[in-house]
Amino acid sequence: MEIKGIFKLENKSWVLGSVIVAILVLLPILFLIRGLLKIEESDLVYLLNTILLEYTLNTFYLIFITSLFSLFFGILPAWYVSKYKFAGRSFFDLTLYLPLAIPSYIMAFTYSDILSFTGPIQSFLRTHFNSISNIFNKDYLQIEVLGVVLALALYPYIYSASRISFSLIGVNYVNLSKNLGLSKIKSFFKIFLPLSKPAILSGLFLVIMEVLNEYGAVKYFGVNTYTSGIFRAWFSMNNIGTAIQLSIILLIVVLSLFYLEKLINVKSKFSYSVNSKRQNLRNLKETKLFLVYIVCSIPVFFGFFIPLGFIINNVILTYFKIDFNQLFELVSNSIKVSTIASILIIIIALLFLFIEKITKNKINHIISQLISLGYALPGAVIGLSLILMATSFNDIFSSLSIMGSIYLLIYAYIIRFLAVGKSPIKSSLDKHPDSYTDTAKNLGLSPIMQLKEIYLPINKFALITAFIVTFIDLMKELPITLILRPFNFDTLGTQTYEYAIEEMIPLSSIYSLSIIIISTVMLLFLKNIINKQINVPRG
Amino acid sequence: MTIKVSIVEFISFFFFDCDQTEMVIKNNTDPSNIFFIIIFLNVFLDYICSNIKLIYIQSKLKIMKKIFYSLLVCLLVSCNGEKKSDEVNLYSQRHYSVDKLQYENFEKLTGIKVNVIKANADELIERLKNEGKNSPADLFVTVDAGKLYKAYDMGLLQKISSDVINSNVSEKLKDKNGFWIPITYRARILVYSNERVTKDELSTYEDLVDKKWKGRILVRSSSNAYNQALMSSIVANNGAEASIEWSKGMVNNFARDPKGSDRDQVKAIAAGQGDIAVVNSYYIGLLLSSKKQEELNAGKAVTVFFPNQGENQRGSHINISGIGLAKNSPNKQNAIKLMEYLTSETGQKTYVDNSYEYPANPAVNPSEIVKSWGEFKIDELDLNMLGEYRDQAIRIFDQTGWK
Repeated sequence: MEIKGIFKLENKSWVLGSVIVAILVLLPILFLIRGLLKIEESDLVYLLNTILLEYTLNTFYLIFITSLFSLFFGILPAWYVSKYKFAGRSFFDLTLYLPLAIPSYIMAFTYSDILSFTGPIQSFLRTHFNSISNIFNKDYLQIEVLGVVLALALYPYIYSASRISFSLIGVNYVNLSKNLGLSKIKSFFKIFLPLSKPAILSGLFLVIMEVLNEYGAVKYFGVNTYTSGIFRAWFSMNNIGTAIQLSIILLIVVLSLFYLEKLINVKSKFSYSVNSKRQNLRNLKETKLFLVYIVCSIPVFFGFFIPLGFIINNVILTYFKIDFNQLFELVSNSIKVSTIASILIIIIALLFLFIEKITKNKINHIISQLISLGYALPGAVIGLSLILMATSFNDIFSSLSIMGSIYLLIYAYIIRFLAVGKSPIKSSLDKHPDSYTDTAKNLGLSPIMQLKEIYLPINKFALITAFIVTFIDLMKELPITLILRPFNFDTLGTQTYEYAIEEMIPLSSIYSLSIIIISTVMLLFLKNIINKQINVPRG
Repeated sequence: MTIKVSIVEFISFFFFDCDQTEMVIKNNTDPSNIFFIIIFLNVFLDYICSNIKLIYIQSKLKIMKKIFYSLLVCLLVSCNGEKKSDEVNLYSQRHYSVDKLQYENFEKLTGIKVNVIKANADELIERLKNEGKNSPADLFVTVDAGKLYKAYDMGLLQKISSDVINSNVSEKLKDKNGFWIPITYRARILVYSNERVTKDELSTYEDLVDKKWKGRILVRSSSNAYNQALMSSIVANNGAEASIEWSKGMVNNFARDPKGSDRDQVKAIAAGQGDIAVVNSYYIGLLLSSKKQEELNAGKAVTVFFPNQGENQRGSHINISGIGLAKNSPNKQNAIKLMEYLTSETGQKTYVDNSYEYPANPAVNPSEIVKSWGEFKIDELDLNMLGEYRDQAIRIFDQTGWK
């Protein structure tokens, strides 16, 4: 009976189409798993006996620190900016997102330089306050420092999620808390925080994923994480099989994390839209004002303005060395690949989610979960899986040179970042009741018309948001570009990295500055859109 | 549909300035080009079919379409991408600005275009291996003899036979098997604090495990290829057991957990966090030529020391930056020309003027800063051993807790 049920589908051609696209997206991962079956000898046991435990514990510790600080940097400012009126509020509202524009490896390089013995802080202390300068003369390349630096780069994920959530919680809940006689602090912990839990958790999930995939910053700080273990097996020990095994284990762990997040979120699912009027911003007491400024300034200044100032200073120092022709070429390369890949990602993500919505069958539900798998793998492993795939195809069609083409690079981008583009669209789609689809069906609209007339317009903002978020992530992307790019193809990210690992941070600055400027402009657009969403008049 | 295809066309031809598309335009043999022609013609014929109402013409057109298809498929299959043009393709781990300059000079001189993909050496080897006979790569450029050995060991390289190169490079640096050539070399040396260490306290790498250095040694992590090469050389020279003891002793004497870059180790000496650092020679040159006063000061706070220089001692550990000729190199002649140029006096002089490495050609002198450190005896160990003992070296690191 059940089998029969599966074959009795509505919109067969759509389902079929989505299955085909899903197979294309998942194909490289299948090749990775095929690689797993061909392993001859594995060093997994050896690694387990020597370094893997330490690496894993390091990873957990790093995730813990980064999560803790990201939550601290993200939630409180979001709360104050969403609920209170104070001078400079709109400034903070605008700038608290901006650290997202700075790639985490640039953040790490910058801070290690600022804090180092030859950096500005210690030099200043030595020349002016020589007596106390020794107190600050420490080794700052520690896992704890790294955790905080990563938190500075990643907290915007939590900030943006909680900012939207806090703003959307309407006046009814505020009144409720007042009626219950809860103090402001209590109502924050008892009502607003639990209500925003799904949003905050999804932000935290992104932070954890980013930490897991972090490579450059982690390596520089000498902190060995699980991902370093994968690369150790692959590069240093030259055992690709072990690297694949480790990646698959990581994949399983992330999948369970993913599942856990969903489990928690399903329990506390509720709909904002039934909520009533928007709440007006409250005034702040003078005594509290100081605290608010501190809480909002720390992430903004340490996460954005200080690194930016440092980078600009470096650019000025090396101004005469800048090759503007090359810079222009790199900027255009970066923008082009990022734009094309983001557009494709959004089209594919929308396709899957839309089909899931209109068909409501299990296959599509599973598919739309599975296509996020790529996000759980480190970029270089995706690169590896595509190399494995492309070369197997090369054996069959020897004339098709897929390897080392721009198409393969974009393909890899899609696999890796589909989940990033999917999540804003999904959360937007989830807000609309299923009755939309039913009504549309009753009106006799074909699926393509439904997409065109209903889903595209009502999800317009979500689509733009998804585009910007993926675009920025792609601008910052490094490992995939390094391993899969065609001849003579550089992006801003790769050029920054090349100078940075050769310890020529000042020379890399103009390229990182370009990444930051482009991403900042996009983020300001995004901010504009989010404001429109938050300020939408509701009954 | 027509619009969509033209977008794809637009993207592939005009959007990317990367050389893949340049190649497409230059000599229409690239298969991906044909792929687009197929799509384009298909759409074009569809368009005509749907607009012409006469059934007779429609059916004729349909037959034409079929013929087109089969022709194009034949083309696609038969086309093996035999491109004959003036270029040479590099997979390179080196990404210094001097390399760019070299390739530009070479192109000006010979008209041969140098195409480069830069990435981590192991990733490039992986790519080379998987591409097999379809690989576009002519040359594989690394900064570690161990990686060249690895590529050779995996059968990815072919023998280089050129008298010009043979006479250009120093005998001591050559590959005994002739599968790769050196272009520059660097020594992994010690630097010591001018304030807290005197020159006569230092002698050899082996001496670093002495108790007097407890809490004073700075070095970067064991995942770094330069450290792996150093350990391989010690395994090759002293044997595995002695190396384990040496590694244990080093770990005992560390001033802090290994981290950061080579230059960071020097800065840490200046900051007083340790007294001796194991670093590559050219990083000191970079510090001494830094525009930042503070970095310059850090460079001046230390002195260079070449270990193992005494009589009956083997000399300081060196490593090369080198090039291997890919087994399936499609532009072999050009590749050899490039190698000849890079090892020639002109090429070597460009390296020396723009970096602080030692030239592989003995006819060329290193830069002034490098010269001021004096001459030194190099460890004449077969550099292939750096690759041969790599695996063992890593296991020793792991066992002894060198992070």
